[in-house]
Amino acid sequence: MDRETYLEKYDRSTHILGRAACAITLVMLVGAPFLIGFILGALPDLSAAAKGFLSVGIIWTVSSVVEFLVYTPMLGAGGGYLAFITGNLINMKIPCAMNAREIAGTQAGTPENEIISTLSIAASSLTTITVLALGVLLLVPLQPVLQSEALQPGFANVVPALFGAMAYQYFRRNIKLALVPLSIMTVLFILVPSLISQTSLLILPSGAISIGLAYLSWKKKGAKA
Amino acid sequence: MIAQLNSIPLYLICGIIVAFVAAVCVVFMVRAYKAGKAIGMDEAKLKRTLTSSVTFSILPSVGILLGVIALSGSLGTPWPWLRLSVIGALHYETQVAQAAAEQVGLQTLSAAEMTPKAFATIALLMSVCIMWGMILSIFFNKGYLKKLSGSRKEENKGKPGFGDMAMTAMFIGLVSAYIGSYIGGFVSGEGVFTFKGDLTPVIVACVSALCMSGFIYLSEKKKMVWLESFSIALSMLAGMLAAILL
Repeated sequence: MDRETYLEKYDRSTHILGRAACAITLVMLVGAPFLIGFILGALPDLSAAAKGFLSVGIIWTVSSVVEFLVYTPMLGAGGGYLAFITGNLINMKIPCAMNAREIAGTQAGTPENEIISTLSIAASSLTTITVLALGVLLLVPLQPVLQSEALQPGFANVVPALFGAMAYQYFRRNIKLALVPLSIMTVLFILVPSLISQTSLLILPSGAISIGLAYLSWKKKGAKA
Repeated sequence: MIAQLNSIPLYLICGIIVAFVAAVCVVFMVRAYKAGKAIGMDEAKLKRTLTSSVTFSILPSVGILLGVIALSGSLGTPWPWLRLSVIGALHYETQVAQAAAEQVGLQTLSAAEMTPKAFATIALLMSVCIMWGMILSIFFNKGYLKKLSGSRKEENKGKPGFGDMAMTAMFIGLVSAYIGSYIGGFVSGEGVFTFKGDLTPVIVACVSALCMSGFIYLSEKKKMVWLESFSIALSMLAGMLAAILL
């Protein structure tokens, strides 16, 4: 079988498997509260759930659409299905896939990148599942250590530690591109500190600014060539 | 009530779902590895991807485990364990659980007030609110990626494509937003331009970045390529240590 035919077949089966896995997980996740309710002797209150959905769910629905549109191209097919099943996108899966891409030196949209991204998201998800399973098994001895006051500042700063390292990795090669969104975002958060709690939404304008700048420089390079 | 929420049937239900998702991950991983080999990718590169992704994910996973522990006091252990293993997000779970608790008439999200009906409703709402990424993937992942690859081929005629640059730029935007929020938090977190906010995230990010620069120097200039797989994890550890020592 030649490379193209093989990759087409691989891609087709990735979508079949991905869709099936998402559908089954979805049924199990929505079914579980009913099954648990049945065991506990009280089914969910659907009208309270509907009210709750209207108050908080709408925001999460909008942010899910945005996450899907922005992150699917970064993750590819296999990585996309897996990441949306396993969650924790911004604080883990996206940086993990970008780091793997950096190490493997693959380019977005290529079959090689699709493979690297899938491997990376699968390994990352399995690591989380293992750590959580071990943590739950060893909850009694681990709880006092993990919740000790001395370690709290460390765990409260996992995300800044992650983005600090990633910032160096990405900014050093694209310093001109990074300076503008970084400055704009910093000034914005300084002037309107209430927006700090909305950082995950402000990724969008920040990303749009850097994509716009990257496009201008790409056009310029194209014109020179 | 908390004893019921920590009972064996609940562990079984949640455990089966977690095991299913783990199996899906294994299937995708094995397929991708085989495909990589089949199209002639360097096996060492594939292995390095796996190692780096595992080391990369350990510390954030411990952070997520803390989320499980935090929620286990009010919702028992099995349900938060499931939620944070499957599609959950650390910043999302507590917020939605809290909002759901209010809707079912609880004053606060606590085990003392929890009833079976309240728990089942909270659990349902936690599942429903975050399922849209999966639904969109089922219906649109294939078409969306096909459309993007089509336009990429179009634009690639005669010049290097913009798609790869766009991904890097988007990620730079994402990181910029977060770093900006740490600086903004310090400068204006306790009032605009008071410089009395929390400086720790800024210092942590700087320490982590500094360590990363050291690791990149060692792997690129001193040819210690093996370090690449551990550089992010070790830099994060240094940053977190700085937060503890501050």
